[in-house]
Amino acid sequence: MSTGQSLSRKLALVLLLWVCAFTLPWTIQASLCVVLIIARYAVLPLRPITPRSAKAFSRFILYSIAVATFIILLNGLLIKEGAVAAKVFGIPLHKEGLLFGARTASRLLLLSFSILLFFVSTSLPDLIEHLQTKGLPPYLALVLLLTLHFLDQLPARIHQIFLAQQARGAPVDSGLLSRTKALFSILSPLVLSSIVESIERGTALELRGFLQRPQVARVIKRSESETDWLTISLILLALAVLIYRIVQWLIA
Amino acid sequence: MADRIVIQSFSLQYSATTPGVLSSVSLDIPSGTCCAILGPTGAGKSSLLQCLAGTMQRHHPESVASGTIQIGERLFEALPSHVLFPSVGYALQDPHVQISGVRDTVFGEILFTLENTGEVPDEPAAVILPLLRKLGIDHLADRKPTSLSGGETQRVALATILVAQPPVLLLDEPTTAMDLAAQEKLRGILRGMKQSTTIVLTDTQLDFALGICDQIVVLEQGKVLFDGTPAAFLRRLDEFHTSLPLENWLPLRQQILRLLDQPSRLGSRLALTLGLK
Repeated sequence: MSTGQSLSRKLALVLLLWVCAFTLPWTIQASLCVVLIIARYAVLPLRPITPRSAKAFSRFILYSIAVATFIILLNGLLIKEGAVAAKVFGIPLHKEGLLFGARTASRLLLLSFSILLFFVSTSLPDLIEHLQTKGLPPYLALVLLLTLHFLDQLPARIHQIFLAQQARGAPVDSGLLSRTKALFSILSPLVLSSIVESIERGTALELRGFLQRPQVARVIKRSESETDWLTISLILLALAVLIYRIVQWLIA
Repeated sequence: MADRIVIQSFSLQYSATTPGVLSSVSLDIPSGTCCAILGPTGAGKSSLLQCLAGTMQRHHPESVASGTIQIGERLFEALPSHVLFPSVGYALQDPHVQISGVRDTVFGEILFTLENTGEVPDEPAAVILPLLRKLGIDHLADRKPTSLSGGETQRVALATILVAQPPVLLLDEPTTAMDLAAQEKLRGILRGMKQSTTIVLTDTQLDFALGICDQIVVLEQGKVLFDGTPAAFLRRLDEFHTSLPLENWLPLRQQILRLLDQPSRLGSRLALTLGLK
């Protein structure tokens, strides 16, 4: 399987999962989240490409489960409809609220898991190359490239700014509360330095003729590519799910 | 083939309401020579390079310019409306941003530039490897471009521009991330390129420029304070101590001038080393 084929399949899978996230019942969405976590280990093209991205994905799963639990409990607490399903420390949690929370959380999880799994298992150069061979305009490729580069550099940059704040005597290392407070003080340098670097990086690419990149290479590569039935099947499945949902909505 | 650069009465404002960044700048940089534009931070050096590279109009569409810029046969009234690559190669101050990250190896990173120009040779290695050898980084060809040291990144960044063989090369403070050994290496590389390329570099100090440049321009608050040969600059050194850090040079000025004025072997050797002859 070529890199291009693998990328097409993964993009089609993300499309299918995003359609599922907006159309299918939350129980199926939650199941799909579990399937994605298993696939991260079991399916070779979905494995993270570096130990760093594997660690990031594992951490994200833990954080997102915590966020999902919070969303479900908060809705159960605030939406006081239906019977009381459970009591936590004497506080009643209502069934309708819990269900609404579960729907919201499962959708969020499916959207974020699918896109994150795609990015941790895909090399940035391969992705840009693939999208360009598929005819992505250079301007969009540039925006995508700068965004992904920013996300890639984000943890290192935050760590750097934390160290700088620490060197200035800011209490950034003593407990969750002070770290949360310190987060606000790093936001401004983080945003500013990222904007400046993105502009410079974009300029550097422009200065190397990226925006005038000829179309010829793309045409040749496109003609070389073969029909990938799995990609087509995934896209068709996404369309079928979408149509099914629209029809169901019209009947109801 | 190197191109001549002629700038005539060129003025620039970032917008109609802001003060001028460049004020009536006129320069003539002959083809195949190296010109150093020296000046303190905020003098307008980088702005001038951006105008020459064609990025100013694109990135600051509200900027107001007058005068002309001629690069080779191409004459621009005010500002060029598009990026002039590959006719003009521009290496930014921070070499790390020059690395695109769209390729996994240094070789691929340099090939990426050729792909952008649409002129990929049948055997790219025949073009890229000699260039890497010339820059002394052929051993890095298979390395990841984002995992290099500052000096190595600087040379890879330069290679990503030079591979397109631009007739004009603009270098914005090229020695910022370099130690003295790396600076000497770069000086040697630029010296070797002068025949085929017109080089314009900016710097905040004199040290790197001497020994490579044929022309020195001192810019301050957008105005040209000096335009001449390095020898002429050294003779008027004390006039520019407020614009440039010349503490190391001023005490030597009298000795240098005496040696230059006397027809001795030592004087000739010194003149050659400093690029004054």
